Amino acid sequence: MRLRDQRVQTVVLGAVGIALFLALWEAIGVNRLAGMTWPPFSTVMVFLFDPSRQGLFLRAMGASFAMAGMGYLLGTLIGMALAGLVQIVPVLRPGVDRLSSVVNAIPAIALAPLFIVLLDREYTGMAIATLNVFFVLYVATTSGLNNASATHRDLFSVLGASPTTRFFRLDLPAALPAIASGLKYAIPAAFIGAILGEWFGSSRGLGLLMVSAMQNFQIPLLWSAVFIASAASLLVFGLMGLIERFVYGRYK
Amino acid sequence: MAAVLEHPAAGAAETAADWAIHVDHVGKVFTLDDGQQLTAIESVDLRIGKGEFVALLGPSGCGKSTILRLVAALETASKGRVVVEGTDPLALSRAHRLGVAFQDHALLPWLTVRDNVALPYKVAGRKVDQERVRALLALVGLDTFENARPRQLSGGMRQRVSIARALVLKPDVLLLDEPFGALDAVTRRHMNVELQRIWSEQKITTLLVTHSVEEALFLADRVVVMSGRPGRVIKTIDVPFARPRSPDVQRTAEFHRLADELTLALEPEGGH
Repeated sequence: MRLRDQRVQTVVLGAVGIALFLALWEAIGVNRLAGMTWPPFSTVMVFLFDPSRQGLFLRAMGASFAMAGMGYLLGTLIGMALAGLVQIVPVLRPGVDRLSSVVNAIPAIALAPLFIVLLDREYTGMAIATLNVFFVLYVATTSGLNNASATHRDLFSVLGASPTTRFFRLDLPAALPAIASGLKYAIPAAFIGAILGEWFGSSRGLGLLMVSAMQNFQIPLLWSAVFIASAASLLVFGLMGLIERFVYGRYK
Repeated sequence: MAAVLEHPAAGAAETAADWAIHVDHVGKVFTLDDGQQLTAIESVDLRIGKGEFVALLGPSGCGKSTILRLVAALETASKGRVVVEGTDPLALSRAHRLGVAFQDHALLPWLTVRDNVALPYKVAGRKVDQERVRALLALVGLDTFENARPRQLSGGMRQRVSIARALVLKPDVLLLDEPFGALDAVTRRHMNVELQRIWSEQKITTLLVTHSVEEALFLADRVVVMSGRPGRVIKTIDVPFARPRSPDVQRTAEFHRLADELTLALEPEGGH
């Protein structure tokens, strides 16, 4: 009962927090406290849900989400595969660790021009998303694969486990909570990458919408695009949080 | 159940096959991170007969766990050698013929109780004998918990699962490293009674590492006392009580006399 009360309390407090945030947004907008460029929440919503703009937003969403999604998948695959590789061939570990840190230390915005030259500019967003997600998943997986306790390792040794058995029956399951956390934190990274990439001259997407709205001073359009990107990222982040909680409950 | 312990003259060659476990004048030196050398055990000669239950008793840091880890092939000897069932411990563990239970139950949290007990089959790449798993769960009194997860069990129950897991492949050698060390005194006594009952049904060659005098006396055929550091054997006692042993054994005068003797041997000055 107590746990349930706590959960109800968390949900209620969360809802109150969101309501307060939106009310503040509305109040600042209505009273022009932040000037002309801060529209009230209601104005943005009316603009966003106007049927005449549905096609525009859906096309932009489709393009951005596809780039974010593909970057997410690609980054996850590369990150986890490399983490698995350095687990099997440990000599590679320091090198790959350093390389991925270096790549991550370079701001994506500095690499974007390179991607535009190297790749189609339509895919720059996906490339940055891949890079961002790759790093998160590589770090999460490599650290997760070392999560098995010393006693568990000893147990598998005494039982005569082969390296493959040890990997699939111990190291991988023990890594799942860390991987689930990585998958969660990679969500915003994928969105950032995709939208940032679209700023650099993509012909579609929320990023393009943002840039053109900014340049043409279409304030409600700008806010709508930002709202869509934020809401989508938060929603998927929340869903991944649920999966993460399940994995923690099961594997930790 | 030979009471032989230190017979340096017995000759190493003939003994290999005669003993289930032969720790043959073994020393172990650890090199610490700062390059310092730490002698965990100096020269220990320990022979355990087939089907014998030997308890290694000693204060913490006396190297008794190191001996168990050498027999489990988790460490290699710096000098001397360890022979288990006539072969190298590593060969025995690779053949899935060792059973082990640690102080930390080491159950996998993502598996049910039944799957945890069945784990050695999976690791050995053998088909799980569900009958055997069920029988062992019944033996340790947890047949109604087969679908529970480790976190849902008490500390004592988890240790029982870990002992069932250690026994499931009918190992040649059972290694118990302070299996009840983390339990409260009451549960621990209860677990000793259980383990004694279970062991009396299987009679597997067993090496138990413990710092509890009563546990060693109640469970073992022979108690070997070690002192640290470096670790060496200072005393051996044959335990005269017949099996199966009832908990009443622990209230006899003989039990108390032996317990006093062992406790004295454990004192820093060797009791004299």
